[in-house]
Order: sequence, then C-alpha cells, then structure tokens
Amino acid sequence: MSFLEFVEGPLFLVASAIFLLGVVWRVGGIILIGRKKDISPPKGSAAMGFLKGNLRHFIPRGIFAKRTALHLIAGYGFHLALLVLVLFAAPHIAFIQDRLVNVNLPEMPRWGFILTAEISFAGLIMLWVRRISDPVMRLISDWDDHIGSWLTFLVMLTGCLALQESHGFLRAQHMLVVDVWLIYFPFSRLMHAFTFFLSRGNSGATYGRKGINL
Amino acid sequence: MNNLLRMVAVLLVLLMGVTASQAQSVRPPGNAVNLDDGIEPGPPNTLGDLSDSDFWRNYRGGDPNDPQQIIGPRPDGVVLTTTGQHWRALRENYIRKYAGWAPLIVIGILAVFYVLIGPMRIKSGRSGKTLSRFNLTQRVSHWFMAAVFILLGISGLIILLGRPLIAPFLGKEVNSIMTSAAMQGHNLFGPLFIVALVWMFIKFVRGNFFQWVDLKWIFKLGGFFGGHVSSHEFNFGEKSWFWMVTIVGTVISVTGVLLLFPWLVEDLRILQLSTILHGLGAVGLISVLFGHIYVGTIGMEGSLDSMLKGEVDEHWAKEHHDLWYEKVTGKSASETAKEEEPS
Repeated sequence: MSFLEFVEGPLFLVASAIFLLGVVWRVGGIILIGRKKDISPPKGSAAMGFLKGNLRHFIPRGIFAKRTALHLIAGYGFHLALLVLVLFAAPHIAFIQDRLVNVNLPEMPRWGFILTAEISFAGLIMLWVRRISDPVMRLISDWDDHIGSWLTFLVMLTGCLALQESHGFLRAQHMLVVDVWLIYFPFSRLMHAFTFFLSRGNSGATYGRKGINL
Repeated sequence: MNNLLRMVAVLLVLLMGVTASQAQSVRPPGNAVNLDDGIEPGPPNTLGDLSDSDFWRNYRGGDPNDPQQIIGPRPDGVVLTTTGQHWRALRENYIRKYAGWAPLIVIGILAVFYVLIGPMRIKSGRSGKTLSRFNLTQRVSHWFMAAVFILLGISGLIILLGRPLIAPFLGKEVNSIMTSAAMQGHNLFGPLFIVALVWMFIKFVRGNFFQWVDLKWIFKLGGFFGGHVSSHEFNFGEKSWFWMVTIVGTVISVTGVLLLFPWLVEDLRILQLSTILHGLGAVGLISVLFGHIYVGTIGMEGSLDSMLKGEVDEHWAKEHHDLWYEKVTGKSASETAKEEEPS
C-alpha cells in the first residue's frame, strides 16, 4: 500500500469516523445538557426567538456595520468560498463520487475554482491577521484558534499546490492534512461550524421568551 | 643499376599488394549499421544557391517573402529568435547564478550589524504612555501584504533557483515536485498581491511623500552619523521602502500578469523581458525586505508595537518621529524631553 493509498484509504476512513462521531457527540451533548427551567410567564415565543436570533446575526447591527466591515467581508468571503470549493471543485467531486457517495454535483470551471480559491485565501488570511493585529482579538485568542486557522490554511494551501495533479506526493500531502484536520475538528473551535446556530438560537430564544424584539 | 631499380619497384608493388589484401581482411563488427541501407536520397539542392550562413541568417532575421520560411510560427516569418538565446543566457548565467546571493548578503550585513552595534534601544526608556500610530485597517492591510509576499517569495525562489539549488542536492524528482507545487501556489497568490498592493498603497500613501526634512535624514544616514534626525510620520527610509514596494511591486504585478496570460502580447521579447524584470524586482524586494523586518523587529526597540498593537510608546515617537509627535500631541518634543529629564 502506497502512502497515497494509505492517507486516502484507511486513514481517511478513521479520520472521517472520528469527525462524525465527535461532531455528533459534541452537538448531542450541548442539546442534551438542556437549559434551566424558566418558571417566569413567557412574554413571547422562544421558538421564534431562536429563529430570529439565527437570522438576525447574519447581518451586522447598523452602529457596528462600519467597524465590522472588514471582518464581515473577510468572514463571508472565506466561509462561502470554502464551502463552494469543497463541494464544487472538480477534484473534490471526483473524490466524493469515488470514495463517498455517487452524487452528481456541478463542476466549477477552472477559472471559477481559481477565483473562489483567491477569495477564500484572502478571507482566511485577513481574518487571521486581524486576530493578531487587534489587541482585543489577540487577548481572547488562544492556541486552539491559531491551530484551527493554520490547519485550515494548510488544507487549502496543500490542495492548491496539488492543483496540477502531476505528482502523487502532493495529493498525498493534501490528504494527510485533511485527515489531521478532520481528527482535530471535533475537539476544537472549528466546531463553530456546527454549534453557531445553537449559540445564536440560545440567545435568541432567551430574548424571544422575554419578549425582547431582536 | 637498372636491375636494382627494377627489383625495388617489384618489391614496392608486392608490398602494396600485401597491404591492400590485409586491409580487405579487416571486417566491420557484427552490429555495425550501414547508413546507406534503406535510406532513400532526399531531393537535391534543397538550399538552392544559399550558403548555410545565409540560410540561418534568414531564419533568424525573418524574411516574410522567403518561401522557405513558411513554417515560421509568426506572421513576420521569424522562426528562430536570437533574443531567446540572449534571454536564456542572461537567465542561466547571471540571474540564476547570482540572484540567491543578494538576500544572503543582506542577511549577513544585518547579522554583522546586530553583533557589532546591537539593537537600537529607546534611549530614555519606555514612558508607559502610548500614542495611536496605525489603525486596524492599516495593520491588517500591512500583514495581509506581508503574508502574501512571503508565500510568493518562497514559491518564486523555488521556481527561480530550484534547478541550481534544489536539484543537485535533493534530486530532480524532489525539485520537480517542489517546482510544480510552487508554480501553482505562485500563480494562485499572484493576483492577491495586486489586491494587497493597491490596498496598502491607499492606506499608507498619506504621509509617505518626500519632504525637505528627509534631506537631513539622508545626510546623517538616518542618525548613524551626526546624531538625532527629525522626521514626520515616516522617515526617509520608510518612505523609500514604501515607494520601492509601490513601484517595483507594480512592475512585478504587470509582468506577472503578462506571464500568467502570455497571449496578451504578441511580441515574445516582452515576455522575455517580463521574466527578467519579474525575477530581478522580486529578488530586490526580498533582499530589502530583510532590512525592513530587522528594523521592524529586533533592530529597533518599540517598532513592532506599531504594527501589532497600533500604538507606540511616546518616547519612541519623540526619538524617531519627533515632528509627527508634535503634530499629534501639540507638544514640543524637545521641551517635553527636557521636562522629563531627572534634575
């Protein structure tokens, strides 16, 4: 078994299993832990608050819009472009069809891939340099934040370095970093990809029940 | 006498006969190939009345009326370009040979400087009071440019120097893998450099225009000779670096775009010139960058705060940018310095 076959085969399966079980365990744990029973009479709908809390956070508040413009653009740029890359890049579609599930996803043209990758890289770099340049962000950031950012960056970088598909080693290198990323994911703040809606919803439900207009 | 001559003549004839028969007995090796076998003679006189020199001169110069040049790939009939040979010679014999030395020499000079003279301390120590120097957008644009430039610098040096530096030591296969990866990375991050360059220019151009006070900085070599030098928000060294990044960065960007999309120009010489300018400009920027990093980190106490925290110590501001200090505080740098001196 070659190194490429190992990282794309057994190691990828193990990493995916850890990822899936870890995510289910973390999200399930948060849901099962529940909330302290609120005995006060409700003044509004908690469920509507949950929904509104989630939707409202997609747009910044007017007074913060200018201050958070950079964060907003970089954040949306990075996350959306990364999602598009993962799902619609031709090599990813081939891999998904070959190894995971036979779905027909539309392939991005090469220029689309390059453009999306540029946006994603620009967004991630900006978010990270903001983390080290803003004193408050630097204060509340720890190793977990930096490792998560760097691992994600390395996944993207090694993927793009293997774009020519000329050497198996470059593909193996990319897959190895992907495997490490999948294993690290459930135990880190990268979990925000799955927990953000619970966090926003929790705040929204609390406010909604109290009748606060979000 | 005549008989003697006849005998000599007979002997000579016999000797020649023996030599000829011996020569005929030398046979070709079994695996020898007779070049005449199976090859039909080509059409005669293909060159016409041209000599070889005229023929190649025409090919090189490109004569559109010469029917022999109809295979030429270009409309003007040029098949071979000597500029290509000159470009290759320049790239192989000079740029690839010496480019790697420039950053190393700068690093060496900085190391010697650090060992002999050491870092530039804040003479009056830190005051504990700070002044706001760069806002968040300026800092992010600076670090964004730094991140992209480092990625491009590393990948570019692998592309340029991989063959002479990596292949002999790590092998051609490793060089091939690294160069393939570097090429993809370089092409991908190149456009981000243009974004970073424009963004940084907009954010920093104010305060970076040259002023008369900069002449004093030049004459005193930034304070190394002749004591304190006054400067505004940016001193002459910083301004020079800003304009170097702007101008050379623009050249690198334009030439990079041409190399990424070679069909934008018809003249091959522009592309050849682009590779030269791109490589030289990048190596120049990388070399000077080490000086910038040195002064911004270990070379000058308090400098890094401006780009990490956005704030600098007041004493740092007074010592290095006294005119800027006076502008933002409304106080005299020299008078406040005297007031703070222990009596």
